[in-house]
Amino acid sequence: MKPVSRREFLLTGAAAVAFSTAIFRSAQGLLKDGRQYFGMGLAKPLDGKIQPPANAGIDPVAHALNRLTFGASPGDYGRVAKMGVAAFIEEQLAPQSIENGRCDRAIARFCDLWGEPLGEHYEEDDESLSPILRRVTTLRAIYSNQQLFEVMCEFWSDHFNIDPGKGDCRWSKPGDDRDVIRKHALGNFRDMLRASALSPAMLWYLDGQANEKRKPDDKPNENYARELMELHTLGVHGGYSQNDVMEVARCLSGWTLRSKKKVGGFIDFKMPGGKLFKDRGEVYFRPEAHDGGAKRVLGQEIPGGLGEHDIERVIDIVANHPSTARFIATKLCKRFIADDPSESAVSAIAQKFTETKGDIKSTLRAIFATPEFHASAGGKLKRPFHFVVSALRATNAQTDGDKGVQQFFEKMGQAPFRYPTPDGYPIEASAWQSTLLWRWKFALAVSNNKIDGTSIERTKLQRQLGGDSALMATLLNRSATADESDAFLKSGDGLALLLASPGFQHC
Amino acid sequence: MLANLSSNPDDKRTLVVVFLRGGADGLTLVVPTEDEHYYNARPRLALKKKDTITLDGKFGLNTNLAPLEAAWKEGDLAIVHAAGCEDTTRSHFEAQDLMEHGGFVAGGWLARFLRARGPGRSPLSAVALSPTMPEVLSGAPSAAAFQRLSEFSFGQKTTPNFPDELRRLYELEKGPLRVAAESTFDAIRRIESIDTKAAPANGATYEEKDGFHQGLRQVAQLIKADVGLDAASVDLNGWDTHFTQNLVIDSNIKSLGTGLAEFRRDMGERMATTTVVVMTEFGRRLGENASLGTDHGRGGVMFAMGGGVSGGKMLGTWNGLTREMLEDPGDLPVWNNYRDILAPILAKHGAPADSMGRIFPDYALKPLPIFG
Repeated sequence: MKPVSRREFLLTGAAAVAFSTAIFRSAQGLLKDGRQYFGMGLAKPLDGKIQPPANAGIDPVAHALNRLTFGASPGDYGRVAKMGVAAFIEEQLAPQSIENGRCDRAIARFCDLWGEPLGEHYEEDDESLSPILRRVTTLRAIYSNQQLFEVMCEFWSDHFNIDPGKGDCRWSKPGDDRDVIRKHALGNFRDMLRASALSPAMLWYLDGQANEKRKPDDKPNENYARELMELHTLGVHGGYSQNDVMEVARCLSGWTLRSKKKVGGFIDFKMPGGKLFKDRGEVYFRPEAHDGGAKRVLGQEIPGGLGEHDIERVIDIVANHPSTARFIATKLCKRFIADDPSESAVSAIAQKFTETKGDIKSTLRAIFATPEFHASAGGKLKRPFHFVVSALRATNAQTDGDKGVQQFFEKMGQAPFRYPTPDGYPIEASAWQSTLLWRWKFALAVSNNKIDGTSIERTKLQRQLGGDSALMATLLNRSATADESDAFLKSGDGLALLLASPGFQHC
Repeated sequence: MLANLSSNPDDKRTLVVVFLRGGADGLTLVVPTEDEHYYNARPRLALKKKDTITLDGKFGLNTNLAPLEAAWKEGDLAIVHAAGCEDTTRSHFEAQDLMEHGGFVAGGWLARFLRARGPGRSPLSAVALSPTMPEVLSGAPSAAAFQRLSEFSFGQKTTPNFPDELRRLYELEKGPLRVAAESTFDAIRRIESIDTKAAPANGATYEEKDGFHQGLRQVAQLIKADVGLDAASVDLNGWDTHFTQNLVIDSNIKSLGTGLAEFRRDMGERMATTTVVVMTEFGRRLGENASLGTDHGRGGVMFAMGGGVSGGKMLGTWNGLTREMLEDPGDLPVWNNYRDILAPILAKHGAPADSMGRIFPDYALKPLPIFG
């Protein structure tokens, strides 16, 4: 039976329209909160014997867990050791076949909203969607078994960064997350780029919706055209010119969407013909606002009169440009290998990207097979989001992912979807070294159950794992050094100390 | 603890760098009210002369910057128009990088200045009132980034041995993470001695909810507490006005004007040893676009405010906005390189004369007379 959407439900009774969606949402939330908090906990049961890492250094199993996931949770090491690293990589590259019940429970209360058509998101009030998006993203990072998929969603969210704080994006970013980022995160790069180009949120964020040429002296808005080449594809030194930016802007002129925020700051509350906001966020092409002349983009002619098909030519030209393969390969190598990846790794990966026409799975598989990947264990600094999520995973925490946790992301400068400019959060360690104090404060707070909505069972965890050394090894993904063990005991707060220690900042 | 800071008055000079991120439209902040080309190029966005505060025979100040009129009249504020860097990509990130790095080099010019002044400085020698460290301070001998001074502590009672054991593990580290931990521990000690709740001086009032104002307020607290602050970085974001510019830019300009004026009031006499420099990565195109906004351009505007500044006048080159003066595709050019504004300021703040070539490599300086 087809589920009844909230919109349809509201329309079934004449008086129902008077109900605010907020009241309905909170009643729905209560039901599911109850199911989550009183019935099924989110912490792993940790039955049976758990095998912690036993090597002094980070072995290949621990390394794979460090880089392909947001951190190992208790039991992960033993599981991957048993199945083998190669099988683990293949498992992670096929997320649809991974059981994910715990994550589904964690985000269950938000699922109705996520399944709705975009237009219905516009029914939500101004401030409700972005916190839910941050929360869902956090819960997925912590509880999903499809860890590499979530890691890649984070990667592409930075690459195609949209801060929902701009205009209509507060309503349309959740749809972008679903229909662009998550849909294509392990798919094909060209498809993702094309989806992003006409994503309602991107059209707002980079002003594409306002890019028009109606009169001969109208100047198209260059914002998206520039970032498309600088940040999404070729890279700033990838070989495009100011003229290419202006030509791409001409090609893309005329695309827009039915928006909620009107020019001048007026919000349209009308519900025409009982349609509510069903058509909000709908993307369409206006031939009269398009520059129909011939263009030349990166040396390639685009004849006049193609109209709405110009965009396909532009996407093909930039997606297939050799600089794009290098740019994406470099960024992926920075994420998975090192801040300053070797030329040999980058060119091998760029070649694989080109060869497979931008197949993301094949490109990742090639990265994990490079000698540089294997030689890079422990050499990267976790970004703040990774650090916090890895601490919650390692301690088998129960969390609602709400304000208590989010405030720490903000203090460390990496709250999900809060980066204001289109370049996304930086990958390199140098941007994050000044966040140490907040990492230490988080380690103290989580270890002592001082975070609202988050709890750990410290003594139970220690008992289940089989004592101090097993706990330390589970956190560090290797056995602790003599200094670490000594400091663990002397500090009087060993769990906090290890989470705050340099060993836990690296991956 | 503070007794070991030098008593040399030069050591009390503080440089505050305000970066307007997004490319602030200099032609709206400081309006060329006598230039018909400005009015022709911006039929819908131009500000009329009568709606500005007259600065000199050529320019009018945006009325949202009225709080700065006193500093201008008292000779504490100098303005340089058509200022910026040589980057022509018109990319926010490239232009910001270049203006923060001070050349095509790694690390920031402010960081190199701090190193050039020599070792033995305070652990709070440089702070950034932002969630992450800006590029301008990248490579500084010690620098701390935070949004609230009061945040800079462990914040709850730790077990007695926790900080020492943590410090011990970081001392075993090699590389930047060890340096970052050392700076963090030192800064915690310094900030614990400041009364962060104390009211601003001389009746100054900062907007509680304005992040830029709160940043300046805390810079003032650090300066007045004599923690040895040499340099501070404060950002004011949101200047990328491609679309309906006039609707979004006014509140930002107001925040800038009142923030700087209240900071000056709060600082009182300490302003004599303080310089505030305001910069942005580029100005915006002279011609307005079809969506009532302006696109990325080249020349922007810079301000210098503080003790000894040769203020109350426009400094540097201005050649007007006739078509042949513009740079393709119709931008106000950069006639005044940002380094020529920063170099005299750094010199005033104690940069050794022979260090300028290292602070701004591969550039022949032609310093503007910022201090007369």
